[in-house]
Amino acid sequence: MSDNSMKKYMKKSEIATFGIGLFGVALLTGWMPDYTATYFADFAFKGKGFDSADMSNAISIVFLVAGIVGAVCELVIGYLVDNTRTKIGKVKPWVGFGAVPLALISLLVFVAPDTNNQTVAIIWMFVIYSLYTAVCCAVESPANCFGSLSSPNPSERSTAISIASFLRSVGQSGGMVVIIVVGAVMKALLGSQQFKNAEAQGLDLLFSTAVCALGLILFVMIFFSNNKERVPFTQEKVSLKDAVKVVFTHKNLLMVSLTKLFGFGRGVYGTVSLYIAIYLLGSKDLKLGLLLPMGIGTAVGTLLVNFVLKKFSTKKTFILFCIYGASSLTILFIVSKSIEFGDALIIPFLILNFFCGLQHGNTNVTPNIMIADCVDEIEYKTGKRQEGLAYAGYGLFSKIASAFTKALGPWLLYTWSQYAVSTDANVAYATQTDETLSRILMIYTIIPAIFVVLQAVPIFFYDMVGEKKAHITRTLAERRAANAAAATVEN
Amino acid sequence: MAKTKKELNTKLYAVVAFFLVLAFLVSVCAVTFKNKYNAFHPDKVATAFTESIVNRGDGYNSYKNTLISKNYKYGDYIREYYMYPLIYTESNYKAGMDTEGLKGFNDESYIGDKTASDNGTLSGQVIDKMYPYYVQLITELNGWDNYNTFFTKYFAKLLEVREEVFGDKYMTDEIMFTALEANVAAYGDKLVGTEDVIDENSNIKTSTKTIGIYENKYGENCVFTYEAVKIDDVNDLEKFKESLDAATLKTYKVAIDDITEAKVVTVQVKAEGNTVVKEQKVTVVKIDSFWYVDNTNTDTAQLYNFYK
Repeated sequence: MSDNSMKKYMKKSEIATFGIGLFGVALLTGWMPDYTATYFADFAFKGKGFDSADMSNAISIVFLVAGIVGAVCELVIGYLVDNTRTKIGKVKPWVGFGAVPLALISLLVFVAPDTNNQTVAIIWMFVIYSLYTAVCCAVESPANCFGSLSSPNPSERSTAISIASFLRSVGQSGGMVVIIVVGAVMKALLGSQQFKNAEAQGLDLLFSTAVCALGLILFVMIFFSNNKERVPFTQEKVSLKDAVKVVFTHKNLLMVSLTKLFGFGRGVYGTVSLYIAIYLLGSKDLKLGLLLPMGIGTAVGTLLVNFVLKKFSTKKTFILFCIYGASSLTILFIVSKSIEFGDALIIPFLILNFFCGLQHGNTNVTPNIMIADCVDEIEYKTGKRQEGLAYAGYGLFSKIASAFTKALGPWLLYTWSQYAVSTDANVAYATQTDETLSRILMIYTIIPAIFVVLQAVPIFFYDMVGEKKAHITRTLAERRAANAAAATVEN
Repeated sequence: MAKTKKELNTKLYAVVAFFLVLAFLVSVCAVTFKNKYNAFHPDKVATAFTESIVNRGDGYNSYKNTLISKNYKYGDYIREYYMYPLIYTESNYKAGMDTEGLKGFNDESYIGDKTASDNGTLSGQVIDKMYPYYVQLITELNGWDNYNTFFTKYFAKLLEVREEVFGDKYMTDEIMFTALEANVAAYGDKLVGTEDVIDENSNIKTSTKTIGIYENKYGENCVFTYEAVKIDDVNDLEKFKESLDAATLKTYKVAIDDITEAKVVTVQVKAEGNTVVKEQKVTVVKIDSFWYVDNTNTDTAQLYNFYK
């Protein structure tokens, strides 16, 4: 009997268009949260005379509620995806049909009603952004789990997920390019000052959203018309209770999800990047300089993981990258301490920042491949295939981790580091003590390093690798071949 | 006979979905731009102009709605006509000249020790010393209509004050904008008052509450509202165009013949939604599809005096 599990299933163009589809989704979903906050705060109801303190509080609550809506939707959509059975698959309909309302609603977020009633304005913000979050979940979650359905061949599937993850991470920052291009076009058409006037009304944000939404539709439709789900879905209906149980009781899946929770403090460096630029490197303009090498490092790391995965298992790859990540951050700390803060530190810091960025490729790619393997394992054990919920569970843990990061970062900076706020209207950033500067550096390096090590801990208990993985892959391939043969006989 | 279900033609769906979404996006953007972009509406551009002056006494930024800003970025106009002639005074700079290769006071060779080591404290002193002069000019000139005299005198004084504080002649357009805009903001704060500012992360009070002139007259946190209550066409456009100052418009890079329509908009300013504070007549002109305030024909002096 031939080994179907190692057969190549995907056309080369499909690997590319899967990535293009995820790029399109990330282009819009990466753009929306930050710029929505800016639009709501600065432009949506400009000149209406609303109380600014009430509006800022309302906006914070809008995003808190949207976070809760997102977390609930994550599980609900996962459950619905797993109970979807259509001729074109279980995930594709969500992505292909959901992209249309997602594009439309995203644009409507940037079209505020012309009202002088503050209550109406606040209700509108709640409704439109919660609606966006729910529809976004209905597209983004299924799109992220398409990889596990793209091919029964784990190796081919890993390559597809890895390339798609790279394009997704590029897409997440695409909005920053879009707004620059839109601004340049508007400036050319309207003139500099009239562009400034239009910008003051948030119109550049409206056009940029339209471009991102159009990008979403274009790229998702390329994916939708070219890609096929190649892993047959199982026919059993799954109850909501059993489905949710899978997320929390399946050991390997839980371990992968726990990496997010254990490593939640990895992201605190973002809180201090501005202060690193100002106090340690000498100019706040260097914040972008910090992000750029880190971003390039992340992109390179995403591609690099794919090569490492060809030599090592997912488990070893994840642990290796975590050790590397913690080491590179520690080296950055030691080098920064040994060179005086200021101009001399800029070049070594930026170079090392690139090397620190490499580790992020691992966290972008490897867990997604592991979850696809977990879905195989769950199907092997229960006969039920549950991509939707498996990825939804991971997404849920990511959202909780992100909330912890957002709480920990400011606490570390403003309380633990004893950061001094400027009270002089003419001095933007107060002088800090050496101890504070050292702690700010630790928030950028040592503290994330500790969490990078911690996120590897659950993976020591992960065992969907080696012979076990090969056996499950083979058995599933045999089962599917037998099911297909039985179906042919019945017809 | 069993029914055969038709399979979805995904390529056809993709094309149809793309064009439907494209049509929706274009329509929404076009309608929103048309409604929100002030320059399409004579009443909105006149109201925005008045609002800028009344809200915070900010005649400086109100010029962003005027003919000056049609072909110029407002800041570039100020640089070209008022800042560069002072910065490149030794190179005998004239408006429109390329500054590339010109030596001016923005050259690093003019940086003295105090400039090099300032952490913002001395710059703050310059701003504070300039503020009384700023108020004096606003009072003497009855606002911002005579921007030419305002900019000329203000920046000349700034050169003196900065040299006195820093002990060097270093000067850049950035320094000039920073001082001017800080004074504009401080003047606005005096009118509307300020709140206590507490840094939310450290709980340290960074600024203390003050009561503004508007608040004393119209109540705490008073809000002004604006409405264009009347729009009159300028019927004899040719006569109107003849009355314009061609030389001034030339400095804005605007040709009189480009003006295709003119109107006078009456904007009513109300305090707390009911008390009419002032009615301001604003002359607006249309060039291509856009409306601009004709600042050469609009007297705003009353908007700087109604609260006195």
